[in-house]
Amino acid sequence: MGPPSRETWAQRLGAFRASPSAFMAGPEGEDLGRDLLIELRSEKLSEQTKVSLLALSLEYPAQLWPDAAAAEAAATSLLDTLVLLPPRPSALRRPLLLAATTALAAGDALGPTSGASRRLLPLLLGLASGRDLGRGFGPASEQRPLQATACECLRELESCKPGLLGDCLGLLRRLLGQEGPVQPLSLLLALALRNALVIRAKAKAGLQGLLVAGDAPTPGGPWNWALAEEGGAHPQPQAPSWSAAEDEECGLAVLEPSPEEARELRAAVAQLLDSSYLLTPVAQAQLLWLLGWALRGLRGQPPVLFKPQLVRLLGTAQLALLHAVLALKAAFGEALFTAQDEALLLRRLTLAAQHPSLPLPAHLFYLHCLLSFPENCPLGPGGEEAAPLLLGTRLGRSLLPSLLHDPMTLLARLHLLCLLCAEDEEKEEKGQDWSPQRYLRELLAGLRQRAALDGGPRALAALCFQASYLVVRCLATQPLVLTPLTHGLAELYRARPALAPHFVDLLDRVGPELGEPLRVVLRQEVVSRPGRDEALRWHLKILAKVADGNAPSATLGFLRAAAAHCTDWGLQQALLRVCRTLMLAGVREGLADLLQALARQLEDPDGRDHARLYYILLAHLAGPKLGVALGPSLAAPALTSSLVAENQGFAAVLMVQEAPAPIRLSVGPRRAAGPGPVLQLQVEVLEPVFSLELRFRVQGQLYAPLDAVHVPCLRPGRPCSPLLLPLQPRLPAPTQLSVRALYATPAGLTCHAHLPPVPVNFEDLFLPFPQAPDDGDKQGFFEELWDSCLPKGAESRLWCPLGPQGLEALVSRHLEPFVVVAQPPTSYHVAIRLPPDSRLLLRLEAAQADGVPVALRTDHWAVLPLAGDYLRGLSAAG
Amino acid sequence: MAQRAVWLISHEPGTPLCGTVRFSRRYPTVEKRARVFNGTSYVPIPEDGPFLKALLFELRLLDDDKDFVESRDSCSHINKTSVYGLVVGGGELWPVVAFLKNNMIYACVPLVEQTLSPHPPLISISGISQSFELLFGIQDFLFLGQRNDTELNTKLNQLPDLFLQACPFGTLLDANLQNSLDGINFASVTHPQKQPAWRVGTYKGKPQVSISITEKVKSMQYDKQDIADTWQVVGAVTCKCDLEGNMPNVTISLSLPTNGSPLQDILVHPCVTSLDSAILTSSSIDTMDDSAFSGPYKFPFTPPLESFNLCYYTSQVPVPPILGFYQMKEEEIQVKITVNLKLHESVKNNFEFCEAHIPFYNRGPITHVECKVSFGQLEVFREKSLLVWIIGQKFPKSMEISLSGTVTFGAKSQEKQPFDEICIGGTAYLKLHFRILDYTLTGCYADQHSVQVFASGKPKISTHRKLISSDYYIWNSKAPAPVTYGSLLL
Repeated sequence: MGPPSRETWAQRLGAFRASPSAFMAGPEGEDLGRDLLIELRSEKLSEQTKVSLLALSLEYPAQLWPDAAAAEAAATSLLDTLVLLPPRPSALRRPLLLAATTALAAGDALGPTSGASRRLLPLLLGLASGRDLGRGFGPASEQRPLQATACECLRELESCKPGLLGDCLGLLRRLLGQEGPVQPLSLLLALALRNALVIRAKAKAGLQGLLVAGDAPTPGGPWNWALAEEGGAHPQPQAPSWSAAEDEECGLAVLEPSPEEARELRAAVAQLLDSSYLLTPVAQAQLLWLLGWALRGLRGQPPVLFKPQLVRLLGTAQLALLHAVLALKAAFGEALFTAQDEALLLRRLTLAAQHPSLPLPAHLFYLHCLLSFPENCPLGPGGEEAAPLLLGTRLGRSLLPSLLHDPMTLLARLHLLCLLCAEDEEKEEKGQDWSPQRYLRELLAGLRQRAALDGGPRALAALCFQASYLVVRCLATQPLVLTPLTHGLAELYRARPALAPHFVDLLDRVGPELGEPLRVVLRQEVVSRPGRDEALRWHLKILAKVADGNAPSATLGFLRAAAAHCTDWGLQQALLRVCRTLMLAGVREGLADLLQALARQLEDPDGRDHARLYYILLAHLAGPKLGVALGPSLAAPALTSSLVAENQGFAAVLMVQEAPAPIRLSVGPRRAAGPGPVLQLQVEVLEPVFSLELRFRVQGQLYAPLDAVHVPCLRPGRPCSPLLLPLQPRLPAPTQLSVRALYATPAGLTCHAHLPPVPVNFEDLFLPFPQAPDDGDKQGFFEELWDSCLPKGAESRLWCPLGPQGLEALVSRHLEPFVVVAQPPTSYHVAIRLPPDSRLLLRLEAAQADGVPVALRTDHWAVLPLAGDYLRGLSAAG
Repeated sequence: MAQRAVWLISHEPGTPLCGTVRFSRRYPTVEKRARVFNGTSYVPIPEDGPFLKALLFELRLLDDDKDFVESRDSCSHINKTSVYGLVVGGGELWPVVAFLKNNMIYACVPLVEQTLSPHPPLISISGISQSFELLFGIQDFLFLGQRNDTELNTKLNQLPDLFLQACPFGTLLDANLQNSLDGINFASVTHPQKQPAWRVGTYKGKPQVSISITEKVKSMQYDKQDIADTWQVVGAVTCKCDLEGNMPNVTISLSLPTNGSPLQDILVHPCVTSLDSAILTSSSIDTMDDSAFSGPYKFPFTPPLESFNLCYYTSQVPVPPILGFYQMKEEEIQVKITVNLKLHESVKNNFEFCEAHIPFYNRGPITHVECKVSFGQLEVFREKSLLVWIIGQKFPKSMEISLSGTVTFGAKSQEKQPFDEICIGGTAYLKLHFRILDYTLTGCYADQHSVQVFASGKPKISTHRKLISSDYYIWNSKAPAPVTYGSLLL
């Protein structure tokens, strides 16, 4: 297959542009980048086609050369192509420079290790400084445009890698002073200067002669990457947004330039500003943004340097220039703009915001600037839109909205009007003269009249509701505005019920100031005039939103009448939705009858089922539970029966959910008293839990079944008194209780959870002998018990190790309630009752320093090993 | 300050997509910076197809506004500027600067050098005004002097090359794209030192300076007791200076006759080097002192090569040039109308043309007209429901003319008849269209002798003036009419 011709390339490029991702995924995608580079050297293609290939590479380098290595190779190839161009005039040199720059910068290949970077940078700098690069770089006539292009390429590289040109500031200043092209050099110098200042300030280093260093990299010599690497290779905001810039406020103050450096810097800035008139307006604006924020907070750089430019700039109609003046205003505030200047600037802005000769988008932007004006002494909190103080009523009134404005102007001006109304609140009703409130009311009425137009575009309706919303947001506390608005909206609904979705949306978004009264009037509006046509659909939609527990009989009456006209599925569902709203609002009386009637009367089986289900729910569930049952359910696919959709909600509510337990159960201190052993349980919860029921099950049949424990309400961080769980062992043996919890969540769901098992230890079963005599013959009592164990029982001796505290401490901690005879500190006789009917007797006598010999007897042989383990574990338990 | 991407989209209502991307340009090096600056809030520039769809939806230009769509129609979705957030690929692409003009949608996305959530205020984003300048620049390039679709297509085809010149890396170098086009053509000329970047190349030939003043007069007349009529003159001074030299200096003075109306709200071209503070402060909103500045208005400047608007102004003349009333009364299917127009005696009674258009909105087609005019002729456009009263070149000696009669309408059919959101019920207007050559309402003129030119050779200086009507409405005084704030100040 031969090389693609011009036509095939045109086709290929067209297909690529239509959808780059689809093209790259296709069979031709992979080779496009490579083919493009090869074709650039083909002699068969015209220059124009090659330019279009290069244009593609300028836009989509990441698709053509997806990684750094490919980008590096592409840049190298592009540079080779450039060098190989014949010395006659060619339209390819500029785009080749742009393409090589783009490939390196966008492909993350720019850096000291990249061969292409090491070739491109000196080449660009050479071109930018007007150095004679030999005939290979085209005829002399092409030098000037190439010089400008080289500057642009360097500026882009400096933007992507700040500090790259840190070494060239002196050179750039010299070039600007000589015969270089003013605009490209000015912008390049300003950017390099700004980046150098920021990087040095961040590193807390001085300027170190940066501005006067005249030695640019020698041709062929190594490029100095030091400053770029100091900058961390991250792009720097060139004109940071004000709020962001204020965070790094006065970061430049650390620079502390020497008087000489400060003078040099001032000279450089003055040089740039003096020739700024020669730049195109957009470039002037860029220069002012760059320099304004570069010098803010820098010592020895008075903002007054900018002053000579201001009058000229204020007079123009150019959006970028006025915006740049505002940026200077924000950067320097009072240091550059006196109160009079601020007033003048506001007058110019006000004028520009309505000048008939300026286009609409400019008007809107100036209006935004007015509402976000960087005031010298702002009163309100920053970041909120507000009318500037110096704007004054007269200027403000010149920007009032009228119905003749387009929607965006109307909304922007309406916002200003609302702010004026808010200021003017106290003046209302005082004088007879014109008040902004009255104007606002009339405007809103006009908007409603337009929105009421039958068949009118939706945009008009949306505008009316947007305006109403804006007014409510700004003037929520003014009944003089809200009352007529509420009634006006009700009238609008009467005139055009098809706007119901807008009303529902408005009710969703406004606060109670408008929402509450609007609900009431809309409900009255709907129920007072029974609908039976197209409007019924909308009435039901509105009612589903506004129906509540107030005056339910009127609503129910309306619904009863409407039911006869609800002939299709959609209307029936809408009707049932209103019933549902009423159920949620706690309406019961009358509603049950209606639902029963609907369950018989509706034509659609889905509707009937639904009504019946609602009726059953209403009849069987208490209020809160009903609320949850009818609460928002999971989204169901559209067009399935709403019954299915709701079923998911009901199922969730009416069934017990398995859940990870928000409950922690622990065993508290032992209580060795009473007729049987009792476990003290401590309960903690991580979230509120209601109607908690704890169910216990003993593994094996060692104990009699345990009763459930009920707790009405538990809240996190609020301890509840311990739960007492009486145990009825069938054998004196330790065990584990498996625990399940059933509880209700605050959302009303009933949940079920398995908790970690609760251990019942051997010692938890210990009980004292109640019949032990108070005084008298304790010893005899003990001996009697001791003797009674044998011969049926068992006997053992063991060594119970003692800790450092000795026997006395051990006994008092663990065995105190069971001691019958005590001869501290060496001898204790202990009698323990083990339910159901066993006993354990201990003689701890002749204690030594590290342990005590224990004689033990029991009437149940199975107890012996347990007792042994218990005693041996005591010292470890401390 | 840079742009991430630019689009030009022709709006084609009625077609499946409702539009076509005619031109788009992306800037990958800027995009790379956006990814770093925007961080987690970064949303990549979408391909043309998804962008087109999302933008048309947001601008309400798709043909489907039948149903309420929350993301577009919600009351809290308030847009007060031409800057939008588009939902694309699950994220919000913001800020998209876009507007529709002449069936063409101009859109671009400026770089924001910080995180986008929450949105920083637009005023603090340098790229926003650059976006507007770029889009206005494209609009001027495409439509100034363009007459037909072929010319438009030629210009659209020039855009890729122009963008290589004017915006090679996304940072706009010159919003005047015509300059860049000339720059390509002038490439062989060596540029001397200190040439303004906005004056590409030099002029060779006979020196001449042409100054034309165009005034447009707007008016809203109500003929009501409690509502004041309003009118305003808006002027534009256009210059073309063909002068040799790198930086010729020119000073143009605009003068007023003794009874002339002062110029206010003056906005000048950026090439004007200095401004008198009286010019800067003369404002229609709020005159700082009683004595309005009445000129001469001096504008020193170095002219660009092409024709440019030296300045714009407004003015408040004491009386409207034509004062009239319009009375319309509905009587079932017909309306009775009476119109009276009076030319003020101070106005030059020599029109290039003068017509009164009387449209009828939200009604059926005109079926019958029975009208009498005291002067001129009446034309009826039945399908458009429009009457046009052609008054001609001159008002009669009495300076006063009238029209009266009845218009009958047929049944209203929704689609065909003109719809208007303001003219509901009796609310109706007539609109005057006229043009007077060699005349300004303010009296403003540029005296040939006061033009100072510092350049080689004595230039030929020509001056032109004209007055045009624009938005000149006379509202039906028998029904409510929309008012602006100014009309309420009695």
